[in-house]
This record gives sequence, C-alpha cells and structure tokens, in this order.
Amino acid sequence: MSNVIHASHLTLAYEKGEKEIIKDANFSIKKGEFVFITGPSGSGKSTLLKALYGQLKPSEGSLVVGGLDLANIGKSKLQELRTHMGIIFQDYKLVNEWTVAKNVVLPLMIAGYATEIQDTQARRLLKHVKLADHADRYPLELSGGEQQRVGVARALAKNPVVILADEPTGNLDDYSSNVIWDLMENACQQLDTTVLVVTHKIPTIFSLPYRHFIIESKGVYEVH
Amino acid sequence: MKFIKNHLMFILPLMAILLGIEFYLVFDRTTNTYEKGLKEGYSMLVVSKDPMDLSQFQALNAHISSLEKIKRDNIVSEVAEGVSKSTSKAILKALPYFYNLGLDSYLHSSGLEEIKKDLETDKNIKRVETFGGSYNSSYRLFSFIKFTLKIFITFMTIVSLFLIIKQMEIWKYAHKERMQVMEIFGAPLMLRSGVLFKVAFIDAIFATILVSAIFLYVKFYWAAQSGIDIMMQNQEVLFRLSDIGILFGSAVLIVIIAVYSVVFSSKGVQE
Repeated sequence: MSNVIHASHLTLAYEKGEKEIIKDANFSIKKGEFVFITGPSGSGKSTLLKALYGQLKPSEGSLVVGGLDLANIGKSKLQELRTHMGIIFQDYKLVNEWTVAKNVVLPLMIAGYATEIQDTQARRLLKHVKLADHADRYPLELSGGEQQRVGVARALAKNPVVILADEPTGNLDDYSSNVIWDLMENACQQLDTTVLVVTHKIPTIFSLPYRHFIIESKGVYEVH
Repeated sequence: MKFIKNHLMFILPLMAILLGIEFYLVFDRTTNTYEKGLKEGYSMLVVSKDPMDLSQFQALNAHISSLEKIKRDNIVSEVAEGVSKSTSKAILKALPYFYNLGLDSYLHSSGLEEIKKDLETDKNIKRVETFGGSYNSSYRLFSFIKFTLKIFITFMTIVSLFLIIKQMEIWKYAHKERMQVMEIFGAPLMLRSGVLFKVAFIDAIFATILVSAIFLYVKFYWAAQSGIDIMMQNQEVLFRLSDIGILFGSAVLIVIIAVYSVVFSSKGVQE
C-alpha cells in the first residue's frame, strides 16, 4: 500500500536557526491507517500537525504528503493539497456568522460544487453526525460537542484522502468524545481515509486497529 | 443598526477622499478657465524704432504668442491736435512703433522679467513695459488660493486615509476568522476575500453616488442661485459626466488596496 505521509529526517522549527521542536524524525503512514500521535504538552504534536497541512515548512529534511514535498511546495499546489484534507481542531474553527449547513459544505464551496449539490451533501452529512435538525442554526447556538460534530462533518464533506485532527475531543465530555471517535473510525473504515489524530491520550474504547507514535525529546517514535 | 454603522464607517472616509479628488478636479478646471482669462487679459507694451512682426518677437522669446499693433495715426491725432498737416506728418515720422504682446501662459513676474530682458537684447526695441506690479498681485492671490486649496485637499485625504486604515483594522477583526478557516481548507485568495470585496465594492458605489449627487446639486441648483460670479461663469466645469468614472475608479482602487491589505495580513492560523 502506498504511503500517504512520509517524513524523512524531518526537522521543524518556527524560525530558521531557532530551537527545533522536532528533530530528525522518520516515519511513514499508509492509506487507510488510523494513527494516534501522543506526547506531553509542548512536545510538538500540534507543530507536527501544522507541518502536515502546510502551515509550517520543514526547516530540514522532507515531509511528503499525497506525493507532494511540503518543504518545496508552491502556494497553488498547497491550496490544491488542502482541498484533499479534512482538518479538525480542538477549538472547532467554525465560521460563527455562517449557518451550520454552510460551515459543513465549506470544502465543497471551495471546490466549486453547485449549490444544489452542496445542499444535498449538507443534509446527508448533518444526518450522519446526528445534527440534521440543526442545519439553519449558527455554531454559537450549539454545545461544544455539537460544534465538534459540525467540524467532523466539514472534514468529511469532500471524502478527503487524509483527516488531520488536533485534540478533537480535548474540550468535550465523555459522551461527545465517544461520538467523535465513532465518526472518525467510520470514516477510516468505510472511506479508507487515513486518519491522523494528535491527542493527549488514546481513547479507552476504540475498536479499530491503529498505530501509535509518541513525540519525546524532539523525536517521533512508533510504539509497538 | 450595526450593519448601517459598519458601512458608514467606510463610506464616510471614502466620500471624504472622493470629495477631495472632485474638489481638485473642479478647482483645476475653474482655475484653468480663470488663468486663461487672466492670460488673455494681459499684454505687455513694446516700443520699437522700426516696424516688427510676430516672428521677430517670437525669435527673441518663445512665450510671445500674439501681437497687436497700436495705430500710430490715433496717437498722432490726439497728440498733434490743431497742428498743421506737415507738422503732423513730421511727428508721425518721428514716432516709434507701439505693440501689445500677448503671452502663451500665465507666468510668474520673474518670467515676465526674463521676457523683458530677452526683448531688450534687440537694439531695435527701445522700451518694454511689463505692468509687473498689478500683474504680480493678481498672480500672488491666484497662487495663494491654489496653494491653500491643495493643502486643504491633502489634509482631508490624509485624515480620511487614517479613518480607512482604522476601518481596515475593524474589517481584519471581523473577517479574519472566516478567511483563516477558508485558507486552511485551501480556498484561493479571491474566494477568501470575496465577501469583503462585495461589502467594500457596494460601499464604493454608494460613496461615488453620494459625492456625484452633491456636485450635481452644486452644479445645477446651488451655483446657479449663488450669485457668485466665478461659480455662475464656470457652472459648466463644476461637474462632468466623466468625473463619475474618475470617482468610481478611484473608489475601486482604494477598495482593492484596502481589501488586499486586510486579506494578506490575515494569513496563518490563529492559535
């Protein structure tokens, strides 16, 4: 199976010449794999995720996502790559002046889908995350768990090749967290999407086989 | 209410800049007409021993654009009233030639002095009278009004630009979140800035319409009834149809600069 993500001697730092957050990391993630990345606070988990969606360029080594080396990627290629990613944030990052339905279909809007298709997909996705009757509401009218389900629906909207999730259940109660994990497991299982989750701890109830990487002392190591 | 306030906060400074531009255009056209009047009303007197034509004067200084010969017979008939014909003929023979010279532009008094010097290099020319005193006071007053208005327009534009920068900060705050989220999901620049462009573009249209309406009112109602000579005489140049294009073009340019500044400063993910 082909690698969706491949890091080779990857070093990440916020400014050139500054202290490295990740140093000389080597790992590969294949299509359809579910991956957890854990590590103590400030170890560089979110930094690695930022690098994976092109917000931070590698200062050394290479980071290839979907066949594109993010160390040397141009603006338009990066934009194109991001349209094949579903990104989930701990603080949801929903557009508060948009309705739930509009938030969900953002990736389709960017891809230029017709309004009718967007409407149909919004209904389907919101039904999938059990928010069918919330389509016309605004994010701030929803609970944290509901907002994160909107975030997951948005991430799934365009059947992404890879889902990157940064502490997706960090602000949620157990019930909401379990709903989110279920949704991501389903995406991985049914759509063969690669899911990479940065989290403090791996959920106790998790049915899928997964890989586990830990970030420690600037290195990224696989836990077997 | 908030919606109207948000729009007004961009429309008003934009209007101030457009008013400045339109003031400048109107003032420029009005002063050009006035300058033309001053230029046409001015001539310098030249006295020469022998007759001269325009090309000879122009060879001495290129600013000379017209020549009017003062009839010597009229001078003699006034000077030699009651004298015999032969005496009158002798006076006419001894009398030099008089010319009124017109200039191609409205010059500063130093320019007039230069022309005078050039003319006096010709030995045939006996005397040059520039009437520099009255000319100079008109010129100074005219220059002062022009300068004052330019300062006022510049000041108005600077203050308005600051207000627009303030509004850009509000835009940045209001639109940053949406633009960042869209950027993360791969939206191109035009799509990210689309909403902001729409808002700003509508404001640009409103500002142009309002400024045009003010000047159309001034042109067709106020100027005609003002009783101010310069307004009534120059009613035609107070506002032209082409000004709408200039105003709208300027407004759109300001909008493009403002929106792109906001879009480019909103890059990256806020932690």
